[in-house]
Amino acid sequence: MFEIEYGSDGEIVCKGRLDAAQCEKAQSFMDDVVESRTLNFTALDYISSAGLGILLKTQKRLAESGAALRIINVNNHIHDVFHYSGFHAIFDIKAKQE
Amino acid sequence: MEKAFARSFDSLAAIFDYAEEALAASDVGDAVRFPVHLALEELFTNMVKYNPDVEGDIEVSVDASSAGVTVTLTEYGVDEFDVTTPRNIDTDAPLKDRTPGGLGLHLIQNLVDKLEYEYHDRRSRVIFTKESGKKHV
Repeated sequence: MFEIEYGSDGEIVCKGRLDAAQCEKAQSFMDDVVESRTLNFTALDYISSAGLGILLKTQKRLAESGAALRIINVNNHIHDVFHYSGFHAIFDIKAKQE
Repeated sequence: MEKAFARSFDSLAAIFDYAEEALAASDVGDAVRFPVHLALEELFTNMVKYNPDVEGDIEVSVDASSAGVTVTLTEYGVDEFDVTTPRNIDTDAPLKDRTPGGLGLHLIQNLVDKLEYEYHDRRSRVIFTKESGKKHV
């Protein structure tokens, strides 16, 4: 189960599990993002390399116009995944207070 | 216990459910559960992606205890692909030099405690273990 939508404050809210079977939904949504946005991961429980690929692809596209994604409220496990992927060097990432 | 899954990303939900059944019988926490799910997905989807013409199912077994979890994935009629070979991923590279893809095996090699590969008579088998009580980061 994975959900992605805009929150009332313009943040992109992700919920559930972003695995390889859910990537089409995530990619389709992110392809329409054309300006800097904050991704709120408060309710995102899981992400695999398939989801990382979508984030990276979007960040590279946005960088061409000087925009960027910011990721907040990342849980400890996803934080580990970002750490080993070197994502802290290419995204502004804020951990969840747990 | 062992179970066979069709070669499709659509099998992932059933694989996670199957893993949860095994994990529920043990007292492992999320620090083990998360990397087990991740490694299981990365290895299974790799088998699906890189052997698209193979028709046979992929066999998965999950053995959990309070000491940790051992997972085995087996497929037949495939070429050799050693998942334990270190990946050359530059995690310090700037954004412009990054390319999507290739992170899955890199993550597994960092997040599980033991990763083994066996190949014989076109049978490919991956075994990984995640121990309880170890912190990697």
